[in-house]
Amino acid sequence: MPLKWVLHWQPNAGSTVNSQILSEVSQCVESINGLKQGRWKATLTLYKPHTRGVSVPEQPNKYYLIIRGQRIVLEADSSIQTIMEKLQSYKTRLALNFDGFQYQLGDFQLRVGKVSPTHSENLRGIFMEVEYLPISSMEKARQIMGEFLEIWQEAVSKRSLPGQFMHIEPNFAEYGLADHYTSQHTAVQYATVMAQLIATVQAVQSVRN
Amino acid sequence: MECVVQGIIETQHVEALEILLQGLCGVLKERLRIHEICLKSGPNLGEFMHGCSFRGSTLMTVRHIGGAMRGAGAEQISVLVRTMVESKVSKNVLRLFYALGYKLDHELLRVGFAFHFQRGAQITVTVSSVNKMLKLHATDEAVPVTPGIQMVEVTAPASAENYTEVVSAVSSFCEYLAPLLHLSKPGISTGVVPTAAAAAASLMSDGGGTTL
Repeated sequence: MPLKWVLHWQPNAGSTVNSQILSEVSQCVESINGLKQGRWKATLTLYKPHTRGVSVPEQPNKYYLIIRGQRIVLEADSSIQTIMEKLQSYKTRLALNFDGFQYQLGDFQLRVGKVSPTHSENLRGIFMEVEYLPISSMEKARQIMGEFLEIWQEAVSKRSLPGQFMHIEPNFAEYGLADHYTSQHTAVQYATVMAQLIATVQAVQSVRN
Repeated sequence: MECVVQGIIETQHVEALEILLQGLCGVLKERLRIHEICLKSGPNLGEFMHGCSFRGSTLMTVRHIGGAMRGAGAEQISVLVRTMVESKVSKNVLRLFYALGYKLDHELLRVGFAFHFQRGAQITVTVSSVNKMLKLHATDEAVPVTPGIQMVEVTAPASAENYTEVVSAVSSFCEYLAPLLHLSKPGISTGVVPTAAAAAASLMSDGGGTTL
């Protein structure tokens, strides 16, 4: 399957994420001729203790469990969620929606949207998915993905927004994942983004306190 | 949710049982080699994980077996009705559950065959020898728990809305097997049936043409 890079918005120190930034970023995609295609959504759940669950649209019947601390990713049927709920030691601590729009841009598909708790519209973050359709090998696509990201960052910087998109690539080999891209790679990236968002929110809260 | 009954049969009569099942089900049997790993965590019930090696491929399934239906109605039913959820999973499932704090309780290797068919409900009949491993995960060195005896299990998925129909279908089907073995709720063992030898001989003598 085509590979993806998942990015998250990192606010500058002292600033927070808001819907105006999301609006500016969406306009930025359209300014580089991104063609809006439709809505897109993924759901992440954080279980106690320290287990993340991810469902992704391209695999509607699958669910992914990740334990980042031990570099474990598991692909399962979506019924694993029922099992997790029945395991009384593991309660849902936090569920987040990654909700936005999909854009076509040549050989790239972009998804940009907000991160919010499932029962709230409060914006907790902004994410972006960059998918390169022709290639499944992460190494072979690395150069072109890097070049695209440079173009994108330059376009965003012109809007003088208080932050930037960050791409933190997990060490997939530590998770037992190969160079050929799969939905498990996507799940690991989203779990990593979730950790970054939580860390950012906690950092802002500690500054306020 | 699922409906379950179990029974035992002497290994010498398994071939006759297979002939009977083939005639009743009208489908081909599926060979089974299931490495069953039972985990537990603290005071919770054990959660079962199954590995099934079939025709050279390997599938892993997690099964959470919950409590049985209780009450006066449940006691009157000859079939066990219990909650059960299963999910196919990738191969590192054991690593994940160990990381979540689960520990190995016991493991078994079930070798045999199964018939899957529709008869008032989607029924599965599994006939297998139950083997224990002398070393951790050493399935090639497994030995029978009870030599000369195999376990027969009849299961059918059910829901809160249809379990009475499923129970009825399973019970009706079990009556066809009565000359060879008695099937009852797990944990309620009645041993081998005295008619098994004669019934098996009859089945083997004419290849299943006899109506039992």
